[in-house]
Amino acid sequence: MKFIPGWNSAALSALLLLCGGLARAADIPALWAERVKCAVAIEYFTETESERRTTVAYGTVIDNAGTIILPPGAIDSHVPPSQLKEFKIFLPGDPVNATGVYLGQDAFTGWHFVRAEAKVRARLVPVTAFAAAGRSPVPVLDEEVWGIGLRPLEEDFTPYILTSHVALIQSLPQRTGEAQQEVAGPGLPVFNRAGVFIGLALNSGTQQYMLYSQMNRGGAPVLLVDVEESSLFHLADEVLPNLGRIPKNIDGRPLAWLGADGLEPMDRDVANFLNLGDQSGAVVSEVLEGSPAEKAGMKDHDIIIAIDGKPLPVFRPNRFVTDYVDREIERRHPGDVMALTVLRGSDRVPISATLGEEPTLIREARRKYFERIGFTAREFVYGDAIERRIKVGQSAGVVVHYVKPNTPAAIAGLQPDDWIKEIDGVTTGTFAEAVDQLTSIEADPFRAEFVLLVSRGGDTAVLRVKLK
Amino acid sequence: MGSLLLIAMVLIPAPAALAAGMSHGFNQLLDAVVRIDVREADFEGGGRRFEASIGSGVLLSSDGLILTNAHVASPRAVEITITLASLERVSAKLVGWDHWTDLALLRLDMNDVKKRRLKLTHGEFGDSEKLYAGETVYAVGTPFGLTRTVTRGIISNSNRYFEDDNGVDGYETGAFNTWLQTDAAINPGNSGGPLVTEDGRIVGITSRAYLGANNLGFAIPVNVAKVIVAGLVQSGTITRSYIGLVPKALQDFEAFFSLALDTGMLIDSVDPGSPAARAGLAGGDILLAIGGKAIDGRFPERLPPIQNLIASQPVGANLTLTIKRGAQVRDVTVVTEKLESSVGEEWVLDAWGFSVRKVSRTFARVNQLPDDTGVLVIGIQPGFPADTAGLEAGDIVTKIDEKPLTSLDVIKAAHAAYIDKPAPTLFEAVRDRRISLFILKP
Repeated sequence: MKFIPGWNSAALSALLLLCGGLARAADIPALWAERVKCAVAIEYFTETESERRTTVAYGTVIDNAGTIILPPGAIDSHVPPSQLKEFKIFLPGDPVNATGVYLGQDAFTGWHFVRAEAKVRARLVPVTAFAAAGRSPVPVLDEEVWGIGLRPLEEDFTPYILTSHVALIQSLPQRTGEAQQEVAGPGLPVFNRAGVFIGLALNSGTQQYMLYSQMNRGGAPVLLVDVEESSLFHLADEVLPNLGRIPKNIDGRPLAWLGADGLEPMDRDVANFLNLGDQSGAVVSEVLEGSPAEKAGMKDHDIIIAIDGKPLPVFRPNRFVTDYVDREIERRHPGDVMALTVLRGSDRVPISATLGEEPTLIREARRKYFERIGFTAREFVYGDAIERRIKVGQSAGVVVHYVKPNTPAAIAGLQPDDWIKEIDGVTTGTFAEAVDQLTSIEADPFRAEFVLLVSRGGDTAVLRVKLK
Repeated sequence: MGSLLLIAMVLIPAPAALAAGMSHGFNQLLDAVVRIDVREADFEGGGRRFEASIGSGVLLSSDGLILTNAHVASPRAVEITITLASLERVSAKLVGWDHWTDLALLRLDMNDVKKRRLKLTHGEFGDSEKLYAGETVYAVGTPFGLTRTVTRGIISNSNRYFEDDNGVDGYETGAFNTWLQTDAAINPGNSGGPLVTEDGRIVGITSRAYLGANNLGFAIPVNVAKVIVAGLVQSGTITRSYIGLVPKALQDFEAFFSLALDTGMLIDSVDPGSPAARAGLAGGDILLAIGGKAIDGRFPERLPPIQNLIASQPVGANLTLTIKRGAQVRDVTVVTEKLESSVGEEWVLDAWGFSVRKVSRTFARVNQLPDDTGVLVIGIQPGFPADTAGLEAGDIVTKIDEKPLTSLDVIKAAHAAYIDKPAPTLFEAVRDRRISLFILKP
């Protein structure tokens, strides 16, 4: 028998490798089973004048009070919170659900917050239980990462595991990891091999699959964005410090407001042309009337190049610079002073703006549905005046939010976004006055018709609404 | 004897003509109908391209005037070739056009006509006011290139009101006249050809048809055309007045506005910044009289004549409008302005690889822009500096190297300077009210 030197050590290391593999196989399922307890599925209804829509989203538990965060895309932020109904919380793999309460959206992170009812809280584990003490580890390239996926409602949101490797880490503008394949359901946590929380998967919007309709076999493909699994995740240090941003009210107020509208990124060629070197900028399209930016002397066409003396960083693609500026505003509070440097022509102009409170948003505007006439009137708010390019102080009356098909309002030609300026020849006053007037018209059984003067894209139209 | 013979000559052949063919006038008209081949510049691709199309027309005079549609021959035309009934081809030039009525007037190259001793036959105008529904009419033209095709039908409606949102290649049309409707077959290529009665008199210029419908064709009444032809012959252009009223039929609103029937016109909207707006008029007002003359805008069909009455005032004239608002009736004076299309002049900037259209006052108003500064990007050439920089069709370029684009000349000068000495150039453009900066570099 011929002795082959080194054979033993080679066999030993092979054996060790095998053991390592076995240890991992035994290890990860246990880690996974424990961490599934911080993942939930949420179902809610959006109830409008004419329909009820169901939406399913995934969320991560963040504390022992049953607070859950949902990614920004889980709820359309234009929908008034009053139309969001019946939040149900499903624990992975469990057909029974618990009720939840919507707490609102945080402007800075974009997260929506939901709180689970007390009876299920004991079964939930916050993701913080799996976070590193101190700074969270940042995964390196090609590091193995894994996360939780949830099957659809019909399968009781049965949890499963997704494993991938890190392909790239970028600033978008948050530090964001991109895995080589899908690594978690959007809104669900991502872990490293040791089971440490390293990120939160987001609505990717990047994964598209060709899908063919079941109803129309052989027909054109339907392009579908996969919302059930994502390969993008915000790193843990973008997540953990912000878990305390639970909205104090359903509208997410206070909301810091600068009033520099229509920010547009400046590309590298423009920066070079303007001798700005290796930095980025955001063009202000419109300084809004009465806003903190206007009071601080900002002008349309100014280019924001620095905040608090710090030049705006360069992002790839450069459009993320506007998100960066937005987040700099959103993380502050009304009353905070924001020091900006803008480029105006060839001058660098310092702007010191005291942030204000965001004016009433369209989603917060008061609304009233008139069943017999067939439309929803909504309070005229600040954004309506800006959109219509009119002086904010002049604005009054109501805006048409919704027109029900085949109702008197629809037949008369009323359209969503019409601004009602006169009702029966009387100039529309406040929202309350307009509602009173419309209520009395609707309540009058002998009323055959009434006339509206509406403003639409700068023009007006006289509409006759026939009630009989 | 001589006169008797003459009568006999007219009388006797007539039944024969009916049996064997159409009237003398009709045959003469046939000889006056021409085919029009047009090559026109197309700016929308971002470069200088050419498009060819075929239409019809009718000779109006022995000195070579041809009437056709504005959508057949426009100022974009670079080459117009006329095929006469004799099949001889002669080039022609645009005398003028009027997109509002969709009419254009051409003139043959008369030197060529004389040199080649070509014989011209011209048609005669009839009276479109006298037409009645059911009257037999013929359309003559070049459908699908089939030269001098005659189709027959009747007048289906002699006073049709419709608004054409597509207009003439994006230019507004139809506000100032009603239309003749006919069931004579009208196909693409018929455009600009005459609609005639049995005696060959021109009563309309066929212009459009509903595609996919059965024989719903439309023609501009010749009485409208007569005025336009006279104006174009005289000055090459039709000037109209504008005060900024958008009318609406009063039908069904009379009770609400406490008006007797057939009285006044409803003002649906007043253009911001227009003479009417400056005079304090607003949507919901009733226009009772113009210059003391009572008007009746009860039905949509009655609106074009009212619009035309305003449009035919001299530019800069004081016009007294009697306005009713609520119970109050008052006279207001407005000063008329020149009516402008929303479509401005177009130009190609070859070196940058994009084409533009000047923002007109009307375009600015319709699109709620603060003023008429800037040029609208209508086409982008792939791979050229504008495309590489990210400029898109629909953007409004407002500044080049910090210089506001108050006229097309400013951008033409910048472009010439760039060709002379190519260097990175800073563009400011507005897209959906957002301001973006672009560098166009060689």
